[in-house]
Amino acid sequence: MIDSIKKNSLEFFNTNGLPNKKLENWKFTSSKNFKNFSKSSSSINEIQKIKSDELSIVFVNGTLDKDSLKSFKYSHLLEVKNLNELNSKKLLHCSKNFFNETMFNLGMSEFENGSYLSFKNNSVIKDVINIKNYFFENEENKRISSFNIFHINEGSEISIIEEDIKENHSIFNLKLNKFICENSSIFKYGKSFNDDSQTHSLSYNYYQIEKDVALSVDSMVKSSFFNKEFIEVDLNNIGSDAKINILNLGKKEQHLDNNILINHNAEHCTSFQHVRNVLNHKSTAVFNGKVIVAEGAQQTDSNQSNKNLLLSLESNAFSNPQLEIYADDVSCGHGSTTGALDENSIFYLRARGINYSSAQKILIKAFAKEVIDDFSLSSLQDISEIALDSWIDG
Amino acid sequence: MIKIKNLEASIDDKTILKGIDLEIPAGEVHVIMGRNGSGKSTLANVIAGNEAYELDSGSISMNNTDITEMSIENRALEGIFLCFQYPVAIPGVGMAYFLRSALNAHRKHQGKDEMDALEFLNNAKGILSELGLDDSFLKRSINDGFSGGEKKKSEILQLLTINPKLAVLDETDSGLDVDALRTVAKGVNKFKNKDNSVLIITHYQRLLNYIKPDVVHLMIDGKIVESGDMSLVEKVEKDGYSWLEK
Repeated sequence: MIDSIKKNSLEFFNTNGLPNKKLENWKFTSSKNFKNFSKSSSSINEIQKIKSDELSIVFVNGTLDKDSLKSFKYSHLLEVKNLNELNSKKLLHCSKNFFNETMFNLGMSEFENGSYLSFKNNSVIKDVINIKNYFFENEENKRISSFNIFHINEGSEISIIEEDIKENHSIFNLKLNKFICENSSIFKYGKSFNDDSQTHSLSYNYYQIEKDVALSVDSMVKSSFFNKEFIEVDLNNIGSDAKINILNLGKKEQHLDNNILINHNAEHCTSFQHVRNVLNHKSTAVFNGKVIVAEGAQQTDSNQSNKNLLLSLESNAFSNPQLEIYADDVSCGHGSTTGALDENSIFYLRARGINYSSAQKILIKAFAKEVIDDFSLSSLQDISEIALDSWIDG
Repeated sequence: MIKIKNLEASIDDKTILKGIDLEIPAGEVHVIMGRNGSGKSTLANVIAGNEAYELDSGSISMNNTDITEMSIENRALEGIFLCFQYPVAIPGVGMAYFLRSALNAHRKHQGKDEMDALEFLNNAKGILSELGLDDSFLKRSINDGFSGGEKKKSEILQLLTINPKLAVLDETDSGLDVDALRTVAKGVNKFKNKDNSVLIITHYQRLLNYIKPDVVHLMIDGKIVESGDMSLVEKVEKDGYSWLEK
């Protein structure tokens, strides 16, 4: 089944080519550097063995390192298959919007050895699982595509923090992930990209959410020359909640880009998007956020917030929060602000003897920390706060 | 303590202060009263070094050090403390972190060791108790979600923690109920001693029922036009300011 999807995706990409600025999701995003990258031919077998630990699952160039599961403490709760072995439409189903994205199709056509990782029913794991993505590539300007599916089965509670580890900084990382959260599951997913590299990263994350699920997605990005992430959440059944908290820290000529779509397809669901960008030098950020409340999705409660702090005259933020509502008994809010540090606040701090530079740093940290404080994973809060401090001091 | 000579200041090309002369010796409490728009708050901000105002002429010195060209933070470190009329809210910055940062900036300037967190907390808890505030006040963000009274108490908490040489109270009494007014006055009375000074800017007599001033100044159109004792306050309460324009 996956082979036919890959074939169709290749045809789509060959027909449509790289994205251009006429496309809504790429209006403020240049793809001109993409053509400098070619498909990686490195294989996992050529790569040195990675030492793992009992709480880590290792992926090398997007492919699951099955050896890492031998030391993984909870491997007895995990069922693993190669995506080639999956014949379920439900499991392989992905966002139609993603299939209209040429880069998603490129990634789908190129990935090799994708994995399906399924946590069994009622797998309650209090430890945070680390997903370590190692990227090895001897040649410059290579594109590594991956596709993996994570299945959180009924009654399970799973927390994951994902980390990218790269030795070669000129990699284009094209990452496709699908997450399925079954009834009454709790899934906390966090990412901290923190390596100050020249990496290009483009990811498509699709979340298929069933009944009474609590989903939280937290991320802090302070690396990557180019980072664009698509998140789509389908709230398919009643009583579910999706929280997305994202902090992007941009310097130099970094481009940081979030495209979030939450589909309220069922009643009594709640969603919360909170994206903050702190931008210095010539960095840019894009926020395309959309909530669609389907007909019949009554008692939806949704909030969407994008705030941008510009630390230089040359930094830019493009914000496009949108709501589409087809139900009549809902509570939906959205808002966006963009501005510099508040001079009155700086004056207030300086009037207490705190110097100008320290006052600026205090205010930047306060702005950023409001997102970090909302992260549901306390260990990600700690990692992010340290990364934030070093970013501010740097 | 502070000496202000022929101070002229403007904002957006509009001259507000038109030649202020004021001297407050150590150990004294001075009051400035005046109509709205007479320049009282501008004077407070110019003393604190607010860069939104242009200093056109004159000088300010603290303990014989000329601070006219000093930055905002260096004035604060030299001992000037402005109690803001409208304290800003800064979400995300905890009161404890802010207060300790401010206190330690002063201690560093004075050549003292930084105060550790425990000593700071013990010190702050005593002040909080006197102001009728709960310890949890320190866990809140600066002035974020504070009531009007809490904001002014927060200013007094900062005043007592930093213990500056000159406290400039810019309409600290505005918007306070009687209980909060008494608490604020109690804090200011606790602060004042023979080595420091207080400048109170106000419209009303009521704060002065609790804090006894040594000198009262009346301001009209950017100038101090009359100075005297508490009887001036009573005259203003009774007759307003029009008699000063004759």
